[in-house]
Amino acid sequence: MKIENMSRRRFLKTTAVVGGGVVVGFSLGGCSTSAPLPIDVAEGGFIPNAFLQILPDNTVKFYTARDEMGQGVTTGLSTLLGEELDFDPFKMEILLAGVHEDYNNPGMGVQGTGGSNSIHAHFEPMRQAGANTRALILLAAAQDLGVNRDYLKTKDGHVIFDGQLFPYGRFVQTAAGLKVPENTPLKASSEFHYIGRESGRVDALAKSTGAAVFGIDVDLPGMHYAVVRRSPVPGAKLVGYNRTATESMKGVTQVVEVASGVAVVAESYWQAKKAADQMDIAWEDVPLGRVDSADIRADYELALNSDDGLTGTDEGDLTSGFAVSDQVLEHEYWTPFLSHAPMEPMNAVVDIKEGWADVWSGTQGPGAAQGLVARFAGLDPSKVRVHQTYLGGSFGRRGTLTHIVEATQIALAAGKPIKLIWSREDDLRNGLYRPASLMRVKAGVDRDGKIAAWDAKRVGGNISPDTIKNLLPALFPGLGDTVIDWIGGMADGAFSDWVADPSSTEGLFEDYDHLNTRVTHATVNHGIPLTFWRSVGHSYTAFAKESMIDELAVAGGHDPVGFRINNTENNPRLQNVVRIAGERMKQMTTAQGRHLGLAAHHSFLTDVAEIAEVSVENGQIKVHKVVCVVDCGTAVNPDVVRAQMEGGILFGLTAALHGEHLIEGGAVKESNFHDYPILRMNEAPDIEVVIVESQGKPTGVGEPGLPPIAPAVANAVFRATGERLRSLPLRLKA
Amino acid sequence: MIEFELNGQKVKTDEAPDTPVLWVVRDTFKLMGSKFGCGAGLCGACTMHLDGVAIKTCVLPISAVAGQSLTTIEGLSADGNLHPLQVAWQAYAVPQCGYCQSGQIMSAAALLESNPNPSEADVEAALAGNICRCGCYPRIKKAVLAASESGGLFKNALASEERV
Repeated sequence: MKIENMSRRRFLKTTAVVGGGVVVGFSLGGCSTSAPLPIDVAEGGFIPNAFLQILPDNTVKFYTARDEMGQGVTTGLSTLLGEELDFDPFKMEILLAGVHEDYNNPGMGVQGTGGSNSIHAHFEPMRQAGANTRALILLAAAQDLGVNRDYLKTKDGHVIFDGQLFPYGRFVQTAAGLKVPENTPLKASSEFHYIGRESGRVDALAKSTGAAVFGIDVDLPGMHYAVVRRSPVPGAKLVGYNRTATESMKGVTQVVEVASGVAVVAESYWQAKKAADQMDIAWEDVPLGRVDSADIRADYELALNSDDGLTGTDEGDLTSGFAVSDQVLEHEYWTPFLSHAPMEPMNAVVDIKEGWADVWSGTQGPGAAQGLVARFAGLDPSKVRVHQTYLGGSFGRRGTLTHIVEATQIALAAGKPIKLIWSREDDLRNGLYRPASLMRVKAGVDRDGKIAAWDAKRVGGNISPDTIKNLLPALFPGLGDTVIDWIGGMADGAFSDWVADPSSTEGLFEDYDHLNTRVTHATVNHGIPLTFWRSVGHSYTAFAKESMIDELAVAGGHDPVGFRINNTENNPRLQNVVRIAGERMKQMTTAQGRHLGLAAHHSFLTDVAEIAEVSVENGQIKVHKVVCVVDCGTAVNPDVVRAQMEGGILFGLTAALHGEHLIEGGAVKESNFHDYPILRMNEAPDIEVVIVESQGKPTGVGEPGLPPIAPAVANAVFRATGERLRSLPLRLKA
Repeated sequence: MIEFELNGQKVKTDEAPDTPVLWVVRDTFKLMGSKFGCGAGLCGACTMHLDGVAIKTCVLPISAVAGQSLTTIEGLSADGNLHPLQVAWQAYAVPQCGYCQSGQIMSAAALLESNPNPSEADVEAALAGNICRCGCYPRIKKAVLAASESGGLFKNALASEERV
């Protein structure tokens, strides 16, 4: 999916003229479409590029190309553009962009959001768009004012000449007739005014008053509501159901069979829900229906203890590495299936009429949504309008769009606008999951305290085949089902036969110096649907890796900080956050009964070390405080960085202390927050975030806060109790 | 026909009496600020005030509010100005995805109404029924305490004057 770095010149190119204004589009592949931008042009509105509309009254509308799921990307991208445009992002009107090639993610080549890459991937292009626009406005101002451009300066949306302030909006008419400058030089970081500034969030007001619009809030005239019943066992097909009785329920207007099950359409949500709940449905008997959690674990154990699996990384010579080791430890680590459980359950509104389809849904893949709706509605993608809304949380879940397929199929059959709403039970029991993993690490440390050998194996399902199968129909809306199934099948084979899925073992070995390294992967997949979950492979590999590092330090009598520093000579940025965390640990005065645990991890180009202050009373683990040291390059919005570290830590604490899906008869057992608990306020520790000063290019923040927290807590629990917990969620022996 | 007061206005509905209040408010009266999160009274995203008391409306039948007064996030501040909590929410940049925040604010507002100077433990107890999956809890707690009578709303707020 990754594309090579493109030149700025190719990235910014003139593509079309819309509404009297010059449109500068981001083009990625050199094969730009002439599709109009999905922007409502206001009277006199000037659209210098796909991200901006400037009105004569100096209103600046910013179109956010990435999807806002809480990670603060509306604030971040508007800050980048505002820095070079010289316009306070907090004075911009922030909008969510529709689907267009110009909104493709430069780090992905498609219009999607994920992998903590938004600020990293847009750091240059978004500033360049701002700089070129500012240069254009200066040209127009010079012409209108009849002065040399060199005498003009700007300040926060105004051109300054001879001590007088002229709003940008005054020059947009002239600007529309000029050629947009390219490759305008960008500011040095020492000149940054908005980047690095302490500020809040541009979406905080709308999200404090109930005004922010999520997918579930979209309401169309004549809209009906749909609820779908799906098989509790993934992949089991519909056999039969009481259709007549369901159709006769009050308010029910249609019963529609869709790919995933049976949909009930009614005039209100409650009517649809009641009718769906009473349905008596028979599902096909499939082999997965006889699989329980214990079977899955047993199959993983079998694969772990056999020669199954293929070797990915194989460097140096393990035998000689272990031969020079004073200490050799070998342990197994287990992490379960997990749900994302965003607070907003999946939903979509679809309206198909007069050869067009409109879809409203908060998603991480608006581009894929367009392709999927086109495919299932039998339309060309150019006839599908995607209306992006805020995402009520996602964490990877809204990268898969089966709910949009369902809503499309239902709307097509119903012949009216449809709002599909999943229940929380649907979300937890019919979702896609963070894969369970069984990992074994055998490691040796030599007499100098250097890791001499690291032999790691992971057993579990691969994420990428499921993702490829889900995305293929979106990427190739014209392909037939047979071809899609064939390619999807190849994806399964490709990832079973080779440890090629980076999501499966990422983070298991990379961080520390060790010359003699082997990583083996055995794919065991029972058919539980899998997808990306906040921090992906790092969410479980960090637990195994950082627990083992702590065990090695303890076994060899090394200080856990010094041991990590001694073994990160080739990873200076990680070493630095560990060193800073170590200094903080020395300063922390822990109350009686409280203990500190440390873990560090590199993910999404960012380095994080976390210290957990933990007590154990009556068998209960309580996390009192977390100190987080993060190096994410330039902190574009430091407070958003802090918020993402806080969020990643608390998301990871839910997994560390509570998160576990059990499988019974092929079905996910847990159904709502009573048996799939989420961390609550009284369990949330105080969190202090230390951001390392840096002029480097920004790196990810949405996910990297998560991986270190579970091992940091487990390492603290060991110090509190002497008990080493090697399974998540962390549970002390009674 | 069930009659009740919604944000100070007399309203009536002929939805089935067992329909949860949340869906009537959202889909009949088109007030979308209150959210659906669990349908089981477990997460608090649907929290409104019934005669001033915070209540989870995804499990409360509409028949139960007949003749009573219901307040949603849209009606939280009667004078049209922001409620102190909403000011604090911005000052502390509380929301991330924002989906649970209406419920969090309604629970916190009911707390401050009955206890203008809550302790940290009081805040934790009053908001124990509100889940935030993004992990905004530390900021929610700080913002509620800041909006309390002795909280000093703008103390420690980050550049609040620029944004509020």
